[in-house]
Amino acid sequence: MPLYFLRVSLEHLSFRIPELLSIAKLFEFELKILSTDIYRGVIVIEVDKDEYVERILDRGVLVISVSKLYAEATNYEDLHAQLKEKRELFEPDLDACFKITLECVNNRPLDKRYRQVVEDFSWTELRGKIDLKNPDIEFVVLEDYDHVTLHTRQARLDRDGKFQKVYFGKRMGFSRARPVINVQDIKQRAFYGNTSMEAEMGLLLAGQALLIYDPFVGTGSLLYAVAHWGASVIGSDIDARQFRGKQKGKDVTPGIFRAAAAYGYDQRFLDVVAFDVTHGPWRRGGFLDAIVTDPPYGVRAGAKRLGKSTTRKRNTLRDEPYQFDDGTFAHERPGYLPPSKPYELVDLTLDLVQLSRYLLVPGGRLVFFLPTVNDDFEHVDVPVVEGMREVKHEDGSLQDFGKWGRRLITMEKTATDDGPMPTFGDHSELTEERLPGHHQFNKRYLEGFKPREGGEGSEETSEAEEQAPAEEMAQLKV
Amino acid sequence: MLACHVRNCTKDNFPLAFADVELVVKPAEENLDFLRRFLPKLDWRALVDTARSLGDTALPDDMPATWTDEQLQALHHVLLEIHVEEGKMICRGCGHVYPIQNGIPNMLLAEHEISR
Ligand SMILES: C[S@@+](CC[C@H](N)C(=O)[O-])C[C@H]1O[C@@H](n2cnc3c(N)ncnc32)[C@H](O)[C@@H]1O
Ligand SMILES: [Zn+2]
Repeated sequence: MPLYFLRVSLEHLSFRIPELLSIAKLFEFELKILSTDIYRGVIVIEVDKDEYVERILDRGVLVISVSKLYAEATNYEDLHAQLKEKRELFEPDLDACFKITLECVNNRPLDKRYRQVVEDFSWTELRGKIDLKNPDIEFVVLEDYDHVTLHTRQARLDRDGKFQKVYFGKRMGFSRARPVINVQDIKQRAFYGNTSMEAEMGLLLAGQALLIYDPFVGTGSLLYAVAHWGASVIGSDIDARQFRGKQKGKDVTPGIFRAAAAYGYDQRFLDVVAFDVTHGPWRRGGFLDAIVTDPPYGVRAGAKRLGKSTTRKRNTLRDEPYQFDDGTFAHERPGYLPPSKPYELVDLTLDLVQLSRYLLVPGGRLVFFLPTVNDDFEHVDVPVVEGMREVKHEDGSLQDFGKWGRRLITMEKTATDDGPMPTFGDHSELTEERLPGHHQFNKRYLEGFKPREGGEGSEETSEAEEQAPAEEMAQLKV
Repeated sequence: MLACHVRNCTKDNFPLAFADVELVVKPAEENLDFLRRFLPKLDWRALVDTARSLGDTALPDDMPATWTDEQLQALHHVLLEIHVEEGKMICRGCGHVYPIQNGIPNMLLAEHEISR
């Protein structure tokens, strides 16, 4: 099978391979990663046909460009020697109008050396016209350097040419998906909120799906990204201000619809509704192709659910509506906000997976971010739910912010039925055995992630806090 | 597709009745494959009654056994393009009023309605 080398983005390192694999899965072709160090700016792959490379160029947002690989080496002598053995590779292009480009990862070549590198290919006897602007064929010499910080000009000059590897080949094209990121840049958007995540992340979630739902939609950043690839979308959030935006009043278009229109995706934004994911109005399951979401982790936009917090004075829910002296009801006044209580991330992730099992079509996918403190994370932490299976990409994809990270989790519905709507009860049994990496994430974030000392007994106070709602729930259930 | 989810409200909680509505028609991208797949999930009677209450009479009394593209387009229009911009959805079971403002239904429950 032919080999290709990809020049790839140096951002979001652990998302690059999953992206390639999901494109291969989507278009049903086989793709092998041949590079052993997958964290460099160049990745060598093997696919059957040039046509599959076109799919990668269509969809790969972390791909910069792809070239057919003729040879790779650690120095030019070896590179030229190998190429001279494969002269037939040049045969079809001997008369084509062409150019040779030198590119470097983590380096800028000196002009003089650039010219020399190009001249050293004169032995190929390419006879075509050289056209730097519009060549029919572009040969690429790609030098891959380590990432180091050099402080003096001299140090930079001295290093030029001291690459780890050099690749030579013929350019297949530049990513057509990558420019989309710039359009989705939140700075250019009509509307955005404080927890909008990078559009680039959202684009990675794009697949071939008809209807996609985000149950923690916020300002909608993930939905713009998936709508771009053709899906119709719906969303909900407990806090309508997130998607309405600041402007109020009749005839004001909610922010989320304004932004959708600014991108040109308004025909794909079907409905946005305000409700608590644990008190939702779903009447039927089994109709969504995918659920994509960035759940609240309490750092900025906190996780909460309807109910009464145990720290409140009156901590039971009233059974009758509250009536003011003038006879009006509290909940019928404009601006009424029902009480809410904290929503532990462990419960939330389990609820999310159970809800997905209900709402997705068989084979449908749940893609979500799970924040975690890295040292504690093990895969146990992804909830295990009958009828849902985790789709793993090697070690998983981690976006690393230092002491905490965010993992991209993909799950697939293996069940063929919808089952009952989950009840979103209390899952306190989960925290008893061992504490998942995302347990009390918010609290630990604010504490600067002190390691958990000596196992179980150490979190006594917080466990006591946690037990309380469980008791409350039990009492209320009768 | 949405039902009343007030605590203990299990009878007549679907379909919700619309009241005081202001409608707008917003074109939505045609997604007929999705609709075809969605058909078995629909409660036809409820849908037809709701559409008629909003003044759209294009849907037949009985759910077609085989669908023409025109019929699917009529369904597309009812399900995805007719939007209630302002108004209310009222539960026939418990009377809960879910307000709709700027096209966004507020389906948050009040304190006494939250399930325990
Ligand atoms: C991390 S943000 C989502 C960010 C989103 N991708 C965006 O573009 O803004 C999490 C969202 O979950 C919402 N949320 C928190 N608890 C919720 C609950 N119980 N049900 C529904 N939404 C909830 C918050 O209001 C917040 O908008
Ligand atoms: Zn009701």
